[in-house]
Amino acid sequence: MTTSRYTPQELAASLVAAALLLPGVQARADEPPQDGSISLRYLDYADSQPGLDRIRAHSPSVSVTAPVAGDWSIEGTLTADDVSGASPRYHSAISGASHMQDERKAGDFAVTRYFRRGTLTAGAAYSTEHDYVSRALSLNGTLSSEDNNTTWAFGLAGSRDSINPVNHVVVAERKRTVGVLAGVTRVLTPNDIGQLTLTRTNGSGYYNDPYKLFDNRPRSRRENTVLLRWNHYADSTGGTTRLGYRYYSDSFRIRAHTLSGEYVQPLGGGWSVVPELRLYTQSAAYFYYDPVYDATLGAPFPPGYSNGADPNRLSSPDQRLSGFGAVTVGLKVAREIGKLWTVDVKVERYEQRGSWRLFHDGSPGLAPLRARIFQIGLTRRW
Amino acid sequence: MVDTVYRFPFEAMASRCEIRLAAPDGGTAEELARAASAEVRRIERTYSRYRADSIVGRINAAAGRHRVECDEETWALLAYADHLHGASGGLFDITSGVLRRAWDFRNPRVPGPDELAPLLALVDWAAVRREDGAVYLPRAGMEIDFGGFGKEYAADRAAALLQQGGVRHGYVNLGGDMRFIGPQPDGRPWSIGIQDPRKPDGIVASIAVSHGALTTSGDYERCFDIDGKRYCHVLHPRTGMPVSHWRSVSVLAPLAALGGGASTIAMLKEADGLAFLQAGGLAYFAIDGAGRTHHHSISGDQT
Repeated sequence: MTTSRYTPQELAASLVAAALLLPGVQARADEPPQDGSISLRYLDYADSQPGLDRIRAHSPSVSVTAPVAGDWSIEGTLTADDVSGASPRYHSAISGASHMQDERKAGDFAVTRYFRRGTLTAGAAYSTEHDYVSRALSLNGTLSSEDNNTTWAFGLAGSRDSINPVNHVVVAERKRTVGVLAGVTRVLTPNDIGQLTLTRTNGSGYYNDPYKLFDNRPRSRRENTVLLRWNHYADSTGGTTRLGYRYYSDSFRIRAHTLSGEYVQPLGGGWSVVPELRLYTQSAAYFYYDPVYDATLGAPFPPGYSNGADPNRLSSPDQRLSGFGAVTVGLKVAREIGKLWTVDVKVERYEQRGSWRLFHDGSPGLAPLRARIFQIGLTRRW
Repeated sequence: MVDTVYRFPFEAMASRCEIRLAAPDGGTAEELARAASAEVRRIERTYSRYRADSIVGRINAAAGRHRVECDEETWALLAYADHLHGASGGLFDITSGVLRRAWDFRNPRVPGPDELAPLLALVDWAAVRREDGAVYLPRAGMEIDFGGFGKEYAADRAAALLQQGGVRHGYVNLGGDMRFIGPQPDGRPWSIGIQDPRKPDGIVASIAVSHGALTTSGDYERCFDIDGKRYCHVLHPRTGMPVSHWRSVSVLAPLAALGGGASTIAMLKEADGLAFLQAGGLAYFAIDGAGRTHHHSISGDQT
């Protein structure tokens, strides 16, 4: 034998290379033995109000899934958004177009352990902007019934944010949240899967927008959601319908309903199209005030300000806390190229109006918000 | 798309085999499975040591007489066998099959040293000459066979064929040696039980696998017990006696041909077996003579 000059370690390690020399044992010679995928997405987001281009973000991101040994997998995504644009114009305290230059760095990481009838995923996320640092930890698990037709899910999540706005209205403020999740997914028929998920999040700390005047929100928030989903596979067309309904309520007294639907239709030659529609409506927070300002002082002072109303009373002019309705219409086209690549292009149009609220009082005075989102993605399996 | 998983059981290589794969319809699945099982049968036919007209049959028949020209595939298998021999310090020896002449596992009897000595003289891979695309076994009575990794090689070839046919979810199982193409269609890994070496219908652990290969060598397939001692078919090439340290060794490797070779070497190396697997960066699940489990980067969900 000519191999005796190698150490046992080298010999053992060389077995992989030797086995790979066997003909036809791998589908592709250039493919490492364990599959994973790497995908690159580029998001172009622009929103506008009549007469003003507000925010434009270009956001490349890379995500990698790599299987490790047989029963672990690690996922991670790293995104770096670059945001340049005017801060929101809605009767914002920073009136005019004070341009923001901000760099956001974010990363998340999750490890999943697979068991015979369940999984356990531990995740951590970190994101930082120069005035806002957020750290989050989560633990999620699933457990399947013996026949695999029912899966229960449970989760715990916590976050700790620290807030240091550049205008120093507050220094080293904090916000903490703790959330729990419970859910069940059930295979109803060979073509139907139903899912029910409940979540509850309790938070305390600084919820205000430090860049808005008269933004003084409660220091605690309790949020509940109920999410119902139903996926149906149609034998006749080979397409899949995904329907969802979400109900949200919180201690700010916001109530929201979301109805969403998408339909995935595979076409020949590796093509598929996915039209999607999302309808949303919410009621205003109890301390939200419409863009009606103090009779004497005018904007941005809330009504009653000049008559000596308590300046520390709860109030917020944030349009996200107003009552409104929104419609999202989107279309995604994906194509598999060869066995390794998938390209997808997605166009979405979003419009939000105070007058579209369906169930509660809205904020009819607000200008509508429109956004279009164009995303192109490329995924390679390896 | 939610593809259905189809199962195709078949018999080959004296084992129960099964192909599982996800496909859009039964016709496509059957066509793919048929091509894959045909490949398994081709390898069985080509490398059977029982067929005088197979390449292995011809090489063995020419022992001590003349050289036999090999095709490229056979050449590659011989090169791999040589590598396993070198990496195992000579323990993995494809000429050790002659020892079966002394060991008949249907008939519990331990052969004496006088019976084994002449056979051990024929176990000598290092003496086998390979030159110019031809192989020569220098002593009459010498034999080679690809029993140590042939089945695993077939599983790799069948899985590669399926993968080329567009299969993304499924696996090939040839008598417990398995090569995986990808996870279940919903993304969950396959859950594979590890046979209990002492209870024919029990499992000692289950391992989640989506990719790569899971192969197991054990002392329980062809064996007998005398006075409480287990004699199994994994024979040491220098003593001619069955190895006894491990009840079973399962290896998770990128290729089945690698896992099969490595798990056999680990059995043969006895107490040093796991260190060998660890050095090779392979994940394993092993059960020792006392029934204790040992594992590395593979943590079976033990039952």
